Amino acid sequence: MAILDESVIKDTTKALLNMVKEVRLVLFTQGVECSYCKETHQLLEELLTTNKLLGLEVHQFESDSDAAKKYGIDKIPAIAVVGEKDYGIRFYGIPAGYEFSSLLAAILMVSTGKHKITEAGMKFMDGLKKPVHLQVFVMPTCPYCPKAVMLAHQMAYFSDKITADMVEISGFPHLTQKYSVQGVPRTVINEKWYLEGAAPEAMVMKKIEEAIKHA
Amino acid sequence: MLNFSVNLGSDADSSIVYDLIIIGGGPAGLTCGLYAARYKLRTLMIEKAPMTGGQLTTTEWVENYPGFPEPVLGAKLAKDMENQAKLFGLEIEYEDVIKVDLAPKIKEVITAENTWKARSILISTGSSPRMLGVPGEQEFSGKGVSYCATCDGPFYPDKTVAVVGGGNSAFEESLFIAKYAAKIHIIHMLDKFQADQVLIDKVKANPKIELITNTVVTEFDFDQDPRKVILKNTETGKSSELVVDGAFVFIGAIPNTKIFEGQLDLDHGYIVTDQDHNTSQEGVFAAGDVEAKELRQVATAVGDGALAAYKIHKYLDNPEL
Ligand SMILES: Cc1cc2nc3c(=O)[nH]c(=O)nc-3n(C[C@H](O)[C@H](O)[C@H](O)COP(=O)(O)OP(=O)(O)OC[C@H]3O[C@@H](n4cnc5c(N)ncnc54)[C@H](O)[C@@H]3O)c2cc1C
Repeated sequence: MAILDESVIKDTTKALLNMVKEVRLVLFTQGVECSYCKETHQLLEELLTTNKLLGLEVHQFESDSDAAKKYGIDKIPAIAVVGEKDYGIRFYGIPAGYEFSSLLAAILMVSTGKHKITEAGMKFMDGLKKPVHLQVFVMPTCPYCPKAVMLAHQMAYFSDKITADMVEISGFPHLTQKYSVQGVPRTVINEKWYLEGAAPEAMVMKKIEEAIKHA
Repeated sequence: MLNFSVNLGSDADSSIVYDLIIIGGGPAGLTCGLYAARYKLRTLMIEKAPMTGGQLTTTEWVENYPGFPEPVLGAKLAKDMENQAKLFGLEIEYEDVIKVDLAPKIKEVITAENTWKARSILISTGSSPRMLGVPGEQEFSGKGVSYCATCDGPFYPDKTVAVVGGGNSAFEESLFIAKYAAKIHIIHMLDKFQADQVLIDKVKANPKIELITNTVVTEFDFDQDPRKVILKNTETGKSSELVVDGAFVFIGAIPNTKIFEGQLDLDHGYIVTDQDHNTSQEGVFAAGDVEAKELRQVATAVGDGALAAYKIHKYLDNPEL
C-alpha cells in the first residue's frame, strides 16, 4: 500500500515544480531493529516519483560504515539532503506529519538556493570560526516544530560551519533522556546548550554566540 | 498511522496591490479567504506559523463543529479548510507580520522579508495561550511546563501530570493526555467548572483524572527531584504540594494584537468591531478570536470570517474608493 495518498502526491508535485537543480536524498537504513526504516525508505521511493530532479542513494547503516562516517550518521533512519555539495542538512527518524513540509522545504532550498536568512543573520554566520551542530528535537504532531527545523536547515545551508539535524524524538526514546527533552521543539547546540520553542533567528544566533564563547 | 502534511508558501508578488490581505490563517482567516477568493478578490493570506489552522493545530479532536458527528481531527479540519480556499485561488505566504500601516488608502503589511500592499485588511490573528505568571513557569516552559497537549502529551507515558484550568480546553486536553499519562490532576481555582457539561461528564468518568477545585497554583517547584506544584486553597488559604512529572496550563488566551496598538481601538487587548466586523480604521476588518466578543470557537470564527468577506467585498465595490 502506498504511504503517500493521492492528494499528498499532487500537492508535493506542485510544490516541487519550482525545483531548479538536482537534489540527492542519501538514506541510511537497515533491515532489522530500526523503527520506521522501512517506512522512511518507502516514503522516499514515493517522493522520487514526484520530480525527475530528485535522486535517491541508499546505504545500509551497519555494513556501509564508510558512507555513514562520510556523512556523519550515528542513528537511523537518516536522510541527508544533498545538492551541489553536502550542506549538513539531516533528518533523523521519519519526517512525517508536519515535518514532511520541512523535508520538502529543505529539498526546495537546496535546489533553488533560496532561503529566508536576514542580512544580520548572514553577517553573523560569516563571522563563525568554530563548527556549530544544531539538533532540533520534534514530534510529527507539533505545529510549532517545522519553524525551528526549517530555520536550522537554512542556517546549515548558508554556513559551512553549521550542520543541522531534525530528530523525530519518538523514534529515539533514549535521546529523550540524554537531552532531557520534555517539550518540543527543543534545539540543542553543540550538545550542551539548549533553546526551547520555535525561537526567532536573532535568538538562535545569540544562543550560538553564547555556546561558542563558553565552549 | 502515518500522515504527511504539505505546507509551503506560494510565490506571491510583493509589487502588486492586493484587494485584500488577511493577517493570520486560523479558521476565521481561512473562511474569509475562501469567500473572498470566490468573490474574485485578489487575496493574500500571511501566516507566521509554517502552516495554517491556528489553534486548531494544537488540539486533537474537535467534537462540536457542525457536520462532523464523528469527531474530526483539528489538523485535518484546518488542512481541508486551506485546500478548499486554495481551490478558489487564495494565495498564502508564511511570514511573520511585524508592523502594519493601516491608516492610508493603500495599507502596508510588513514582514522581515517583504512589504505587502492592499486596499483592505482582515485581521484574524487569534490568540495565544495565557501564562499563569507564577514562579518557575517561565523557567520551565518547554521543560516540564507546557501549553500544547498534541506537542508534549506523549512525553508523559505512565507519568503524573497537573493540568491547570477549568474550561473546555483544560478538560479536552486532559482527556487527550490521559491516553499517555497514568494520573492527571486538574487544578481549578473555582468550585464550578466552565467546561461544557458533556466534557465534565467524560472527565469525571475517567479513572485517571482527579479534580481539585478552589485551588490555585502558586509555584512550579521543578528545580529538584521530585518535581512539585505548590498549591493554595482559595477558601482555607492553606498551602499544599503535589508531586508531578510535568504540568500543562490551559487558562485561556491573550489576543495577538501587539502590532495594532495605537492604530486600532482595543478592549482588554481585543479588537473592537461593529456587527459588520469593521474596526475603528476604514478598510480594516477583524474576525474570529481576536475580536472583542463572548464566544470563541471554530464555529463562531468561520461565521465571522464569512460575514467579514462579504462586507469587504461590498466595501471594495464602492466606486469612490
Ligand atoms: C487546546 C484548544 C482546544 C480547542 N478546542 C476547540 C473545540 O473543540 N471546538 C471549538 O470550536 N474550538 C476549540 N478551540 C478554540 C478554537 O481553536 C478557536 O476559537 C479558533 O481557532 C479561533 O480561530 P481564529 O482564526 O480566530 O484564530 P486562531 O486559530 O488563533 O488563528 C490565528 C492565526 O493567526 C496567526 N498569527 C498571529 N499573529 C500573527 C502575525 N503577527 N503575523 C502572521 N500571522 C499571525 C497565528 O499563527 C494563527 O495561525 C480550542 C482552542 C484550544 C487552544
